[in-house]
Amino acid sequence: MTAATPVVRRPRTSPGVVVRQVVLAILGVIWLVPVYLLLANASKRPEVFGEYSVWQPGDLGGLVSNMADAWGRGRLSLGTLSTALYAITSPALAVLVGAAAGFSIVALRLRRGFFWFVLIFTSTVFPLQMILMPLFIGYASTGLYNTRTGMILVYTVISVPFSAFVMRNFFSGIAHHVFEAAVVDGASPWRIFWRIYLPMSGPALVAIFILQATFIWNDLLLGLTLSQSETVRPVIAALSALQSTYGGSAMSTVLAGGLLVSLPTVVLFLATQRAFTRGLSLGQF
Amino acid sequence: MTAPTARHAELLPRQRSRNTYWLSSAGFVAPAVLLAAVVLYLPFLYTTYISFTEYNGLGDPEWVGLENYVDMFTDPGLVNSLVNTLYWVAGTLILPVGLGLMIAVLSHGLPNATLFRLPFLIPYAISGVAVGVIWSFILQTNGALSQVVGFFGVDAPRWLLDSPLNTFVMIVASTWQGAGVNALLFGIGLQSIPKEPLEAARVDGASGFTLFRTMTWPMLTPLTTVVVGLSIVGSLKTFDIVWGMTKGGPGGASETLALTMFKETFQSNQYGLGAAVAVFLTVVTVAASIIYLRRQLAPGRSA
Repeated sequence: MTAATPVVRRPRTSPGVVVRQVVLAILGVIWLVPVYLLLANASKRPEVFGEYSVWQPGDLGGLVSNMADAWGRGRLSLGTLSTALYAITSPALAVLVGAAAGFSIVALRLRRGFFWFVLIFTSTVFPLQMILMPLFIGYASTGLYNTRTGMILVYTVISVPFSAFVMRNFFSGIAHHVFEAAVVDGASPWRIFWRIYLPMSGPALVAIFILQATFIWNDLLLGLTLSQSETVRPVIAALSALQSTYGGSAMSTVLAGGLLVSLPTVVLFLATQRAFTRGLSLGQF
Repeated sequence: MTAPTARHAELLPRQRSRNTYWLSSAGFVAPAVLLAAVVLYLPFLYTTYISFTEYNGLGDPEWVGLENYVDMFTDPGLVNSLVNTLYWVAGTLILPVGLGLMIAVLSHGLPNATLFRLPFLIPYAISGVAVGVIWSFILQTNGALSQVVGFFGVDAPRWLLDSPLNTFVMIVASTWQGAGVNALLFGIGLQSIPKEPLEAARVDGASGFTLFRTMTWPMLTPLTTVVVGLSIVGSLKTFDIVWGMTKGGPGGASETLALTMFKETFQSNQYGLGAAVAVFLTVVTVAASIIYLRRQLAPGRSA
């Protein structure tokens, strides 16, 4: 705009940086509006729900009582407890199974290891729709339908390929001399796996665990297909049922239920963002 | 006993491990292979078989050849699901991927980048059904969005009742959920780009969009491939958000193929047709996956 006087090096807060910050801040505020609407309306007491504008917040007491309502009358309590069981047990098992497969392929140099790896990993490529109906039939005929064991089994298996994928990549980064040295010291493969390789892979194991626990907590499709009763049905399927049966003035209860169900994964995600990011990058590249 | 074996190991590690550890290596890989075979591959084969039959869950499946597949491309309801699924794929590539890239580029190198990215990441950890609960509320008649639109003097449309508008607003809801993780992935990619070429280009006078178009974007290509591949695969399988917002309604107008598969199988007991939809989804998904899997499974990266 002005004359082309030779300008000294631009200061660190250049106009470009300010513009970027403003654009990001505006977008960020837009992104938070639905979160605000959720909190504002989940905290309104049902009896006065219609008297407020949707933009006005309720109060903390209302939020607590609506959550209690969703938890008790809305039947989210049993689903939450079962889902917590699934989201802890299955990723833990899957991490071990996947790590064992990675250990076999990388450290023990399994014959045709790459073939077996592709076999395990490729099963994540096809959509869940491909296995739902046979699983439903198989579960119904073996008595696994609508049991916690059945849910833990299916969630574990679903988590194994990703776990094997990440662990194979991670173990590839450990020098094979580590394995050979342990062999010279007389350690068995079993011992090397438990005492050397697993303890060395803490960050990867945690990253897989967090990603898979989040996935299982948020699952709807397997829960809808393989469970029915309130004691076995995962919490997201329970929320979906709550949404269908409640409505109108009970909207605040449904929203409080949505908030309640989302809190664990959001808190876990925000608290472990670094591990989460690491897990994503381990899995993707 | 141990000493000679150990020396042998040093001399011929590959040979030795093949001879000595074949049993334990098989043992360690067996649980993963068995679980995948029984719970994933057997059902996969069964669904493929059922897709060529007429089966309602009782009695025996009756072989009908390609009939279910013909139905899929001629029945108006199924064609509608197919079209909706295409909307989802295209919409997901434009909105969550485009915005994710934009957020990543804008926040890259900012002093408080993590803070600026935080609002976009919160929805990612929320389940699709909960996203559906929130957005159904926002989009209900006289709801928050209708009030905003009304403020500008426009009559609010019936967001979730009119087709294909309902699919588009659900894509917006899924953008709200998914843009953050794409921003995170693009952020990882931007960080891994070497600084020197960018500095050199800057010295040569390139800046802003030119710098991005000529330098950053080409170097980001491997990661873009992964994000695009993941987005296509994810959008083909769209289920949770639609289930949480319209259940595919009204009257199947907003159904995606994933919903159609579920409804045909478990609500109409049309196992054969449901299986055919599943097989079709799988074929398309696998084709799309090859885009990014080629990178992940490149032989050079084998163990």
